[in-house]
Amino acid sequence: ATTPLDPRVLDAMLPYCTGLFGNPHSRSHAYGWETETAVEKARAQVAQLIGADPKEIVFTSGATESNNIAIKGVARFYKSRKRHLITSQTEHKCVLDSCRALESEGFEVTYLPVKPSGLLDLASLESAIRPDTALVSVMTVNNEIGVRQPVEKIGALCRSRGVFFHTDAAQAVGKMPIDVNAACIDLMSISGHKLYGPKGVGAIYVRRRPRVRLEPLQSGGGQERGMRSGTVPSFLAVGLGAACQLAGQEMAFDAERVDRLSQRLIDRIVSQLSHVVVNGDRDSCYPGCVNLSFACVEGESLLMALKDVALSSGSACTSASLEPSYVLRAIGADEDLAHSSIRFGIGRFTTEAEVDYTVDLCVRQVRRLRELSPLWEMVQEGVDLKSIQWTQH
Amino acid sequence: LPRLLLPAAAPSGCFCNSHRALVRRPVAAATAAAYSSSSTAAADAPAGPPVSVTVIDKSGKEHQVSGQSGENLLRLLQRYELPVEGACEASLACCTCHVYVDAPDSADLSSVTEAEEDMLDMAPFLRENSRLSCQIVLAAGLDGMRVTLPQATRNFYVDGHVPKPH
Repeated sequence: ATTPLDPRVLDAMLPYCTGLFGNPHSRSHAYGWETETAVEKARAQVAQLIGADPKEIVFTSGATESNNIAIKGVARFYKSRKRHLITSQTEHKCVLDSCRALESEGFEVTYLPVKPSGLLDLASLESAIRPDTALVSVMTVNNEIGVRQPVEKIGALCRSRGVFFHTDAAQAVGKMPIDVNAACIDLMSISGHKLYGPKGVGAIYVRRRPRVRLEPLQSGGGQERGMRSGTVPSFLAVGLGAACQLAGQEMAFDAERVDRLSQRLIDRIVSQLSHVVVNGDRDSCYPGCVNLSFACVEGESLLMALKDVALSSGSACTSASLEPSYVLRAIGADEDLAHSSIRFGIGRFTTEAEVDYTVDLCVRQVRRLRELSPLWEMVQEGVDLKSIQWTQH
Repeated sequence: LPRLLLPAAAPSGCFCNSHRALVRRPVAAATAAAYSSSSTAAADAPAGPPVSVTVIDKSGKEHQVSGQSGENLLRLLQRYELPVEGACEASLACCTCHVYVDAPDSADLSSVTEAEEDMLDMAPFLRENSRLSCQIVLAAGLDGMRVTLPQATRNFYVDGHVPKPH
């Protein structure tokens, strides 16, 4: 859902909240120049993390805005020739919602299904591409089940067919190496608060060679290459830049540590509980996002029982809805299993003690709830739950 | 006696414009050819074959203009007093001479450089066939080209005012 600010990021940001408060677009005085220098440095830091040129980075208010700009902006610019978009069924809500908005403008959208592992089937993508396809949008790492899509292969396929490729990399940037050129990525969304940076800032990478054009969503003074008007929040941009620079530095160490803690969490839970399903491919994934389903346990009760720990069923942006996660539905999870799924997030500041505490609490509560569950009793007796004819009273 | 002081001829054709203001002679298509020799724009090459261009302004009205091969499109449009701005005077530092060309992939059209693309990025109402008119040099093969003016430039004034060329 989010990450805390790395203290070093806060250190970088603070001067730009107080003394260095100038508007980076003020051309005529030192307040503006000093802030502009800082914003441009931050831009270069973001670019370096993903292998881009600083001129290709546009600061936004977050990955939601970046996704909106990428999808609606590209589609509307090329609308005279291209009326079709392709995305996957497991995308973030803002991508799916942007596609839905475009459908009401007369575009056609293909929502590709995914395999039970959560990975996209490249053959289905290939056959979905049409001569009038403007954009393919597939996220790098899924926020609910942590699955990592084969973006290099998707990018190569799109490049060979002359279609722009956008990826929502909010959950991937800073946690694994990404190179926009090696992966043939044309547009990419970045979120500040997913990599120990501040909330309220993100970026969109927009390729310059070959040039990707888009119709801006926000009209105004033409800042950010005309793509996103509005004063760039210098202290937030500085924070994003610092977070990206630190992420590059700490990536190898964090990745090994998170992988180890994630393995510890899964192994300990699975060794103490039966009928636990790990959702999503575990080979092609970000280990810090673990999604487990506990059979015969009611999901909301489990979440309430685990109140001490910040967990979620489904992602933060959909946690208020009563329907089970559409991502789990897309990977073919049974509806009752989808209801009792929990997402565990492990990051740079997660300690081993916290993992052990969570495991113990989770095991205890699942056992307690299973004791109370009549379904569990039937499963223990060997009854196939699917064969039950439920009656209405 | 006040002497009528004419400004010195400057290479970008502004002599031509201020001369026009003093003489108060409206520019008609027939006299445009006479002006081309007095306009000493560095981009204008003398005596190339004529190239006719149709310009559609933002109200949809068509204007026929005629230039010479080697002439700069922006300067041609300005000679005919069409409402095209050129804030940076054709030095590739703004996007106010933004136009839409009907055949953007024509071989006779000079291909877009990265610097022009960078300036175009900032133009409002950008389309796939957008170009900066100051970067288009007329060639014989462009005869009959149709060029459309966008609704507004980055300098747009809501009262409809269009800045005069410099």
